[in-house]
Amino acid sequence: MTHPGYAAARKRPKRDFFPVVLVGPAIFLLLLVGLFPLIYSIVVSFQGLTMTDEDTSFQGFANYAQLFHDSRLWESILHTVIITVVALPLEVLLGLGMALLLLDPIRGRQAFVALLVLPTMISPVVAGATWRLLFDHHFGPINEVLGWITGHEQALLWVVMPDLVYPSILICEIWQWTPFMFLLLLAALTGVDRSAVEAAEIDGATYWQKLWHIELPAIQPVMIVAVLIRALDLARVFDVVWALTKGGPGTMTETVSIYAYIQGFQQFETSYTAAIAFLIIALLSVLMTAAVRKVEFVR
Amino acid sequence: MSSAARRRRHARTQTARYAGIAVLLMFFLFPIYWLFAISFKTADEIFASPPVWVPGSLQLGNYFVLFKDGDAFTVWNSLVTAGLSTVLATMIGGVCAYSLARYRTGGNALASWVLSQRMVPPIVVVFPIFLLYVAFGWIDSYGGLILLYAAFNLPYVIWVMRGYIQDIPVELEEAALVDGCTRLQVLWKVVLPLARGGLFATAVFAFVFAWNDFLFALVLTRTEVTTFPVQVTHYFGGQSNFWAKIAAMSVLGTLPVFVIVVALQRFLVRGISMGAVKG
Amino acid sequence: MQLLRRSLLMGVRLAAAALVGTALAGTAMAQSASDRAVEAAKKYAGQTITIVWEAGLQSLDPLNFSGPKWEKLTGMKIKVIEVPTAEMFTKILQEHRSGSGAYDALNVIPSWMPDLVSAGALEQLDSWVDKFDYRKDLQDISPMFRDNWMKVNGKIYGFPDDGDCFIMYYRKDIFADPALREAFKAKYNREMDVPKTWADFAEVGAFITEKMAPKTYGAAFFRDAPYAQFMFQERFRNEGGKFFDANTMKATINSDIGVKVLAGMRAENKFMPPGVETWGFVENLAAFATGQTAMTISWPPYGRWTAGYGTDDKVMSWVPKTQIAGKVGYALPPGGHPELAAGFSLSVSADSKNKEAAYLFIQWLNSPEISTERVQIPYTLRDPFRDNHYTDPYYLSRWPDAKYYLETLKQAATYGLLDLSIIQTDKYEEALRQGISRLWAGDDPKAIADKIAAQWDAITQKVGVEKQKAAYADWAGKSAAYPK
Repeated sequence: MTHPGYAAARKRPKRDFFPVVLVGPAIFLLLLVGLFPLIYSIVVSFQGLTMTDEDTSFQGFANYAQLFHDSRLWESILHTVIITVVALPLEVLLGLGMALLLLDPIRGRQAFVALLVLPTMISPVVAGATWRLLFDHHFGPINEVLGWITGHEQALLWVVMPDLVYPSILICEIWQWTPFMFLLLLAALTGVDRSAVEAAEIDGATYWQKLWHIELPAIQPVMIVAVLIRALDLARVFDVVWALTKGGPGTMTETVSIYAYIQGFQQFETSYTAAIAFLIIALLSVLMTAAVRKVEFVR
Repeated sequence: MSSAARRRRHARTQTARYAGIAVLLMFFLFPIYWLFAISFKTADEIFASPPVWVPGSLQLGNYFVLFKDGDAFTVWNSLVTAGLSTVLATMIGGVCAYSLARYRTGGNALASWVLSQRMVPPIVVVFPIFLLYVAFGWIDSYGGLILLYAAFNLPYVIWVMRGYIQDIPVELEEAALVDGCTRLQVLWKVVLPLARGGLFATAVFAFVFAWNDFLFALVLTRTEVTTFPVQVTHYFGGQSNFWAKIAAMSVLGTLPVFVIVVALQRFLVRGISMGAVKG
Repeated sequence: MQLLRRSLLMGVRLAAAALVGTALAGTAMAQSASDRAVEAAKKYAGQTITIVWEAGLQSLDPLNFSGPKWEKLTGMKIKVIEVPTAEMFTKILQEHRSGSGAYDALNVIPSWMPDLVSAGALEQLDSWVDKFDYRKDLQDISPMFRDNWMKVNGKIYGFPDDGDCFIMYYRKDIFADPALREAFKAKYNREMDVPKTWADFAEVGAFITEKMAPKTYGAAFFRDAPYAQFMFQERFRNEGGKFFDANTMKATINSDIGVKVLAGMRAENKFMPPGVETWGFVENLAAFATGQTAMTISWPPYGRWTAGYGTDDKVMSWVPKTQIAGKVGYALPPGGHPELAAGFSLSVSADSKNKEAAYLFIQWLNSPEISTERVQIPYTLRDPFRDNHYTDPYYLSRWPDAKYYLETLKQAATYGLLDLSIIQTDKYEEALRQGISRLWAGDDPKAIADKIAAQWDAITQKVGVEKQKAAYADWAGKSAAYPK
């Protein structure tokens, strides 16, 4: 969208450094955290560095071969996928419901919106800690309330028992990020052209018909982007799980980020961690190629 | 339908909506209430079963300990690193966005490369960055953390600000150029004031991202610049989970963000929605 | 006898020091190890030493007692970095790799010392020990700790500073209850004594629960994996298990004994209070101190607190008040060979920019005079580790049963078992921790044991079988590696 005036401005010097100088610092920083690690990881992933072994000789594809035999790694990827595919649709649906609930004017709307987005602003570590307090089997309020409902005392071990750990993580995750979805969808719904909606109303369309045929299609681009943003965030989920279960019991809730952290910083498997990092980049790239196309479409 | 009937129906839906909102508020705010409540409880109240729903008094003992032992300093560290990195990111990200928007520097390729950087998971870069920082002696330094947070916020800032600047009418800038302003002056005197709203909105989010980061701070800090999320996790394990400290520290680290959210609420919706709509 | 010898020694040393002192007036040769450290440290006044300490109660020692006291004496400041136990090893090693010198002095768990030394993270202390004349004082540390927790390859890298061991605490009144004893005898045809074997324990524990729950359960332990793995190590060896086949270095943790111990541990949860699977140190203490359990096994501080010793201190307000003072008996855990679980030695970081000052601080902390005070501070978790601690007249008079308590601790330090310590011990323990947490989650004990063994074998492969075999032979050769 270059403006003619700028075309004129651009014509003057043959080599115009002004725009380049403007992007310089930003690009430099991005290269520092984007490109350097990439190159470093490539090199190191072909070596055999560990905590104590500083030998930098090249080991070929040994680390990459190991990836395929590492069942704990693939399980951690599976855990990440599970969390993503369960949390994401729930967040979208809940967020959409909330947005519709608060779309029409209502007294106190602005205050409600501000209050409802607070969970999203909290540090995920704090969110995890908070929910551990709530889930505590003995001192926490959740078992107490469940006790009232069921009529007898409950001592559910939320962050320990296999069938409860995932619900714990998901509840915390949904609690924290549904408001984000809500805020995005609310903004998008507010921007929907009212005249089309009103025209449909005059034609006698029901609430659901309006929603399905006019409003949802109109906010679809935003929805896709919102889902993408959250999907990428969920793919890297670390803090919440770290604070809630540390990946336990055993490795039952270990996500791929936690596994890579343990390999890199607790086991000090430098080279193997680099190989894992590469695998993550490769998997995400596949995902991204599809995704970015959608973003283009949105734009 | 008579207007009276319509009013009655309207009143009914409004009541239903309020009921729905009440349920939502309950679900989303109770955990926060619980966190605050625990931070004021005495040990007996924390370890009571059935739980104590309202602390007996607003005793500040749990906070006092954090200040006495110097743990509260980590909030200051967070403030410095998140604050300065936000300033840095909005500044260099802002001018970069301007260049991308008005001069189409680097064309679409550069723009999408910048966006793609938003998708790199931190876990992938944290290990090489750790070694790089070791080599530079930047571990446990404000500068190191600020630079990293700024870099991680750049794609977001650039992308949002690019969209924002594209929507600003270009005529004003042209007029200024005709009046004999240099291009730098145009940027400073014409574009900046117009883009202020957008800058605020992106800054809020950049700040919150940096403020809430855990992984980078966990790996790159030791003693001097430990941020509050890392400090919170220090109270887990050991002989027990020190819930009083965990809660008090969490509240200290959460309050500043809440203040910002409330104060800059009108920018918030814009910041978040721009980020999405423009990609 | 011991006391006499020590006071004689002290007298001789005092006299000698006084002589030397007058001759070399102004030089830093003061009479006791702590005074020598203080004198030498005065030249570092105004500087700050950073010390890594276990998060939580342990840290209250340097935060509330030793740090401020040292500052008053020398003008040096102490900055305490609290790190959760499970992350201490990682943090210390990470920090060493970054080489920023952020930590000066360290608390290290002795079983990590070989790894930390081979990574170059710890400073060798011998030259300072000689310079500040500390060797004799090290000799007074209990033989078990002195011989196993101080040196790597014959060189000093840490001062044993915490006589950790597990002992059993039981309710004397419950075990003496005639009605209960009679009922037990009727059922099992033997006396209800404090259990000496794990089979006994299962019977007695279940019996008490049957008779007294929900008011009082037979027993409870901390089940949180980082702690429970120590209990597994103890019990596995008391039952006759060996960690590895010494010839092939194959893990033998999945032997019948390993599976039996895992299954036994889980079976016991049935007669323990509901939710015991999540209990840590404090939850378990709370249950015992308030009379909800009749037996438990833990580190020594339980004995002090349940006697009501020092729990009125304000910083102890969050520790549950004892309702069983005077009713607590002390014994060695079933099998008779308690785990000398974890423990701490004081070390100096190889990356410190202020090594001598850091050294002086840890010599002062560890000295007979100061350590005797520190092991009696009610709110910290430092436990007796010097011969004179077990016989300190003041300590013996702290509460009526203190002498039995100290006697049991001394026995534990004599018959105890060392934590496994080979190359990359932390990785082996991590596999164990994961296994334990799966145990509480309900996995099959045999499958868990097999998985741990497979993980161990993989780690051994990676380290190098021959290398690890030598390290293991070294460790297993110690008299306290396996019960005799």
